[in-house]
Amino acid sequence: MKQALALLTLAVATVWALGLDYGLGQLAFVATWAIAGLGLVIILGQSGQISLGHGAFLAVGAYLQAAWVALGGPPLLGLAVAIAGGALLGALASLPGRRLGGLAFGMSTLAVALIVEEALVRFDGLTGGASGLSVPALTLAGWAVVDPLPQFAVSATALALALLVCRRLLNSRLGRAWRAVRDDEGAAEASGIDTAHAKGLAFAVGGALGALAGALYAHWLGYLSPEQFGLQVSFELLMLVFVGGASRLMGAVWGAVVIVALPQVIALLRDALPAGVANMAGLELVAFGLVLVAVVLWRPAGLVR
Amino acid sequence: MILQILLSGIATGCIYGLVALSFVLVYKATEAVSFMQGELLMVGAFAAVALAAAAGWPMWLAVGVAVVGMALAGALVERLALRRAMGQPHLTAVLLTFGLGLMLRGGVTTVPAATHGVHQLALPGLLGQVQLGSLTVSFAHLGVIAATVLTCAALAAFFRFSRAGLALRACSENPRVAAMMGVSASGMHTLAWALGAALAALAGILMAPVTFVHPGMGVVALKAFPAAVIGGMHSLPGALAGGVFIGVAEALAGRYLPEGANHVTAYVLMLVALLCFPRGLFAGRAA
Repeated sequence: MKQALALLTLAVATVWALGLDYGLGQLAFVATWAIAGLGLVIILGQSGQISLGHGAFLAVGAYLQAAWVALGGPPLLGLAVAIAGGALLGALASLPGRRLGGLAFGMSTLAVALIVEEALVRFDGLTGGASGLSVPALTLAGWAVVDPLPQFAVSATALALALLVCRRLLNSRLGRAWRAVRDDEGAAEASGIDTAHAKGLAFAVGGALGALAGALYAHWLGYLSPEQFGLQVSFELLMLVFVGGASRLMGAVWGAVVIVALPQVIALLRDALPAGVANMAGLELVAFGLVLVAVVLWRPAGLVR
Repeated sequence: MILQILLSGIATGCIYGLVALSFVLVYKATEAVSFMQGELLMVGAFAAVALAAAAGWPMWLAVGVAVVGMALAGALVERLALRRAMGQPHLTAVLLTFGLGLMLRGGVTTVPAATHGVHQLALPGLLGQVQLGSLTVSFAHLGVIAATVLTCAALAAFFRFSRAGLALRACSENPRVAAMMGVSASGMHTLAWALGAALAALAGILMAPVTFVHPGMGVVALKAFPAAVIGGMHSLPGALAGGVFIGVAEALAGRYLPEGANHVTAYVLMLVALLCFPRGLFAGRAA
């Protein structure tokens, strides 16, 4: 309850500080990122696996949704298609986890993500290739979602549903299996838990949430290109979970607040710098790296534990 | 024709191998998975360009100073930052090195002279090519291969005969026993990062005559992961062999497979290696 109140205060403050439209647009991004972060919280914090290529799930969701809408399918059903596609890719990406553990498995997720990114560039008939693809607005019951307020409402609703589903999952037999696998895989196996199945389902859920976020993101942005979902996004999501805390679901929401707010703060700082330094392209990279390094050095085990 | 492909594949593979070597060296000694080797490579190449072209130093001096300077920088970063990630889960070091890499890339990008204009490192003796029958041999390729062989010989001698090299190996095998024998474990971590940074910088400088020097050139380090995995993650010769293997496979895929296949060859091979040979293709022969 306290967290909900804090979030509400923060949302009101954002809208007050940034103006109604811009502020709500940013809040829509916070909610969308939080959905993707939620998937990573399940994978990382609950089932104890590494995913170094989570951007691939967002990419699959975004491109599936774009293709579905371009073919004239109803967008709401498209979201379901994107979720299914993300879950399928998640299950596939987790297959190496039957034989590999820890870092080696993390490397395999990285390989999958790099292959997905290359495939998006290569199959340019469907995806527009490296030059990108524009996505029409989301239409719900004949009503186009173009304004920031409904966009935020859609993302926030999706986030609330995702949080509810995840909470139910965590309190279920599967959630207990995830934590058992995380804490001691051998002991979990000995207790009769099908660990490979549990790990695969964690990735399916994580992939589905990533794809849902990607599909919404595609509509809000209106434009897609493969490099939007590269290594950078995968690491921003890892940073999101690291900052917010992987051990609880709300960590994804707080992490998303930080990730979306960071470029805004950097932009503010850039305005304050003298013109000779301020106009340079690498400044954002430096600032992002600096925050990441500072956070990791400050609390090497994650901010909220 | 096939010889031509093999030669360029081996030369590219030597670069991958050197970066993989630097990655495995650091990983073995400190358990840190480094995502900044590509940025170290890029900064090393830029340092050499800056010293040679901008400051007007003789080429070999510039290259030497750049490599030594990067070794010192690697040691410094280990002391200041990377030490904090010791003993934490892998993810901590992954995020930390990625963040440091972002800072390096961003830092170089903010220098206007680095992003505007094209930079090439004209290493003397490495320009031009020679015709052997139907085979066109470029000196840049030969130079990369020769430099890689020399570097590896020097590394092998260092690990076999020098006190510091033996201590580093001992520390990688079993840090606790090595510490009991009087090896300073933290000193060895610093040494490993210094060597890793120097090797990455060297790879960047060797790349410079073949490709241009630009802030994004660090992406080549993504190919170091497949090379290291194929080598088994714990073997230095394996990492080098894995790099050459990837380089040759890519060159062959570029010639004989449909367009674009060569871009995913390395990652597909990495997945296959992880699934079929989780301990590397050269398991059992760890250095």
